[in-house]
Amino acid sequence: MIKFNINDTEVEAEPGWTILETARQYGINIPTLCYHEAVKPSGACRLCMVELKDGDWSKLVASCIYPVAENINVYTETKRVQNVRKWIFEMLLANCPASIEIREMAKKYGVVSTRFSIKNPDEDCMLCGLCTRVCEEVVGLSAISIVDRGVHKKIGAPFLRSTETCIACGSCVTICPTGAMRSIIDRVRSKPVMQLTQLNVSA
Amino acid sequence: MNSEAKTGAFLCKCGDKIDSFVDLLALEAIVSNDPNVAHCEIMPYTCLNPGFEQMTSAITKKGINRVVIAGCDSRLMLKKMEDQLEPFNLLKGQISMVNLRGHVAISNDLSPEQRAEKSGKLIKAAAAEMAALEPSIQKMAKIEGPVAIVGGGISSFTAANEFARNNRECLLSIDTDIPDEIIGGLYKKYPGERQHYKQLKKIITQTLNSPCVKLLPHDHLQNLTGITGDYTLTYANTEDESVTEHKAGAIIACMDAELTSPDPGFGYDGKTVISQSDIGDGMLNKEILDNIVFWINDYEAGYPEFAHLSIQSAWSITQSILNRSQRANVSIIFNEQIPIPLSATERALSRNLGVQWIPYDKSIYPTLQEGYLSFCGLNDHVEHEISWDLVILSPQRKVSAKSKRTAKILGLFQEEDNFLSCHHPRVRPDMRGHEGTYLAGSAKYPCSLHEAMNQGRKAGNSILKLFEKSDADELYLPRMVCVVDSEKCVGCGQCQEICDCGGISLVGTAGGGLPRVVDPMTCTGGGTCAAACPYNALTLNNSTTHQRETLVATLSQQLNPDEVIALACAWGGLPAADNAAGRGLTYDSKIHIVGVPCVGQIDPSVLARAFLEGAPGIILVGCLPEECHHSYGVDHAWSRVNFIKKLLTIAGFERKRIALAHADLNKPEEFIRTIENFAKTIASLGSIDKTPTNRSKLESIYSLAKNNSRVRYLLSSGLRRPWEKPFRGDQRHGLSYDQEFSSVLAEEFLQTRVLQLLQTENNPLSLIKLSEELNEDVEQIGNRLWEMVDDGIVSRIHKDSEAFYAII
Repeated sequence: MIKFNINDTEVEAEPGWTILETARQYGINIPTLCYHEAVKPSGACRLCMVELKDGDWSKLVASCIYPVAENINVYTETKRVQNVRKWIFEMLLANCPASIEIREMAKKYGVVSTRFSIKNPDEDCMLCGLCTRVCEEVVGLSAISIVDRGVHKKIGAPFLRSTETCIACGSCVTICPTGAMRSIIDRVRSKPVMQLTQLNVSA
Repeated sequence: MNSEAKTGAFLCKCGDKIDSFVDLLALEAIVSNDPNVAHCEIMPYTCLNPGFEQMTSAITKKGINRVVIAGCDSRLMLKKMEDQLEPFNLLKGQISMVNLRGHVAISNDLSPEQRAEKSGKLIKAAAAEMAALEPSIQKMAKIEGPVAIVGGGISSFTAANEFARNNRECLLSIDTDIPDEIIGGLYKKYPGERQHYKQLKKIITQTLNSPCVKLLPHDHLQNLTGITGDYTLTYANTEDESVTEHKAGAIIACMDAELTSPDPGFGYDGKTVISQSDIGDGMLNKEILDNIVFWINDYEAGYPEFAHLSIQSAWSITQSILNRSQRANVSIIFNEQIPIPLSATERALSRNLGVQWIPYDKSIYPTLQEGYLSFCGLNDHVEHEISWDLVILSPQRKVSAKSKRTAKILGLFQEEDNFLSCHHPRVRPDMRGHEGTYLAGSAKYPCSLHEAMNQGRKAGNSILKLFEKSDADELYLPRMVCVVDSEKCVGCGQCQEICDCGGISLVGTAGGGLPRVVDPMTCTGGGTCAAACPYNALTLNNSTTHQRETLVATLSQQLNPDEVIALACAWGGLPAADNAAGRGLTYDSKIHIVGVPCVGQIDPSVLARAFLEGAPGIILVGCLPEECHHSYGVDHAWSRVNFIKKLLTIAGFERKRIALAHADLNKPEEFIRTIENFAKTIASLGSIDKTPTNRSKLESIYSLAKNNSRVRYLLSSGLRRPWEKPFRGDQRHGLSYDQEFSSVLAEEFLQTRVLQLLQTENNPLSLIKLSEELNEDVEQIGNRLWEMVDDGIVSRIHKDSEAFYAII
């Protein structure tokens, strides 16, 4: 049993738990985006940042991947954490301005505009990789991955073509925190979507 | 009910995502009172490490062997739950998830207490299903014995070579065992590509000399029985007509496409206008003519998809020609839509060799004439001419009759006039034992020699991996697979015709009336075959009709008169519902969504049971047409829904009470429209009055759907087969067939009702009395009784010059 503090309250955890898991068990809310219980955490979005304090010394860590340790002091809502969170939201707003989900979440934390330049106003993907992780870890296929490098990164099947490997299970759409997969999956799944004008349901 | 079942229900708060919407304490009270639930607990997060520890401690303490987790979507979370709970003896099938977050918490405007009530209904139904489960024993798969490589294609050698290198035995059936003869005839199947011959010869010699490779020259596959790990292959020898039997653990089919001469309409004469597949060593060693023109005519011949192969071979043959004679003047003329297949170095080589690449306008066909080939230039739209001494056309690619025969024996699937394809199930890899049929070579789909060799190698490696796993005792049989009760199976073969995973085969050699057996390693657990069995001999392990029936019955008993059940398929309806929740959409709270792996595995008896237990309406939401992930399950569901509709009409109920709908995972708004429309229909109808007559009618429908082999047989023989293209004229069957089917149903329905009445009365009844009790026409019942007496189902007794009828 490991004992440590979150927001000055003593909590107990087992070795191997992360700060985020322990906080959630104790009902302490930490915002996340790229974290999903179904897959392994990757610490990509940095939204779950918390502050570790030891006297005058302090550092910020991503709580979803930071393992618990004896006697650490974790703070989830310090000025520094809130500041970082705002910056992250501003960057996300610049990165995927078309995502309604991101806009709404940012608004909840008081961020409505961004000071960064918006390269592509239609972009809604934040490249957190949840979709590729669920495809690999849960579905077991890796039909989609992050294609290209650096600023050209995007989500898709090899060569950005549709692929037979995709079984069209829709896990990526369900897990996507920004809603970007809705349009991407139609380019990935091999069969074109049929337009239904009439359903077999009598009104 | 299974007396050993001990179900634990774990209610997830999901932070505040469920907790603030559903009154979990009230829900806990509801669920705890359920006799099927042995333990109920609320926890902050069931899916995180702390939650798991809480859950597993309860599981070990109370000896829980079934789990219902009420939290979020099973599509994402179930795998993690299964992985984590496996060490606690909770295997696949023993864990069920109810999506409170998506289907109850945010999808409606109910109060937390009302939501708790709705959740309670769903959880109780899931708990009842778990109680009805009889978990199968976890079995290991053993794959032993040699690998049979059949079909005689060139990829046989690369596949066999993989086994030779790994000291694994294999049986190789080929036409000839002389390497030079094999390579010498290769040009007929893979024109050009001589650069691979040297390597291929090495592989062939190595393979033929390996002690692991047992050669079966001139032997052709005649019959195949058994399942993965234990196949028996019968070969017939073409020379001495002897028949031999061999055992094998796995099979690879290696077959090459047959190349035939181009259509004579292109001027093919075999002398000066020839096909690429005519150019063998003999042809190349003859005196080479001056002007050689390759015309890549695949677009014009109607096979644009193979143009890239033809142009590749043309280039390869060109190099062979020019290596022998620099004198020849080679031009390759091709449709502008074909990309030139050359790398930078090859372009340089082509320039040095003086090969001319001439694209022509796609809209105008080139014309072959005496000495000249005219074509429309791309830049100037002028009809140019090129003189020729020899024109080489693209070959036509086909599957040979011999390959087709072998494919049929192997249960491979061939659509009309198409190449062979193995069933490519669009399911998760962990849903099946292995990749299915291993097929290599150009008969699968036209490819280059290089590609065919690679395919053989790949198939060999996949099977080696399977053997390795089996040797290490790590190969388990999947748990959701069909099993045949050989006592009940009469060998009608309906299931085998319907199954397209190739998982069902005959016990023993071919012949009528033999029981079937399921290969658990290839079965994908679609279960439409099980629902189609007229004799209930086929069951889907750990996901049986009995379980589904219990679930639907428990839910139906709890429904209010205006509430409906929506059975949503895991590939269409369920993801649409989950995604609707993801987008924060709301819908009518009267709809109770129950996820099922495929609507095709819903037995008609399940649907009938829902009405019997008081459900006012039930809707099945499957995939879009032609998008089913399991053997046309959605088409089969259509037939079954229609079957119940007919019975409802015959019994005098509204046929609108049941419907089949299609949903796309990415269109949750449409899904909501679908189910809300249905809910409205049912709200306008109300529930079926619970009068004794209605009850007895519904009982008859249920008994008919469940046990009447005659109608079940008729129903399954009308189901769409995997080889069938979309229904002709969009009509599933001719109208007359449908009318006939309806009259059979009416007949059998009446018979069931008569039998039921005679059984409950347990006394001989007169015709008048029967007609009064059943409220049916005397003449109709009279006719039916006459036949029933003839069939020996009821007996007729005369008393005081009046006829009385009784069950024998």
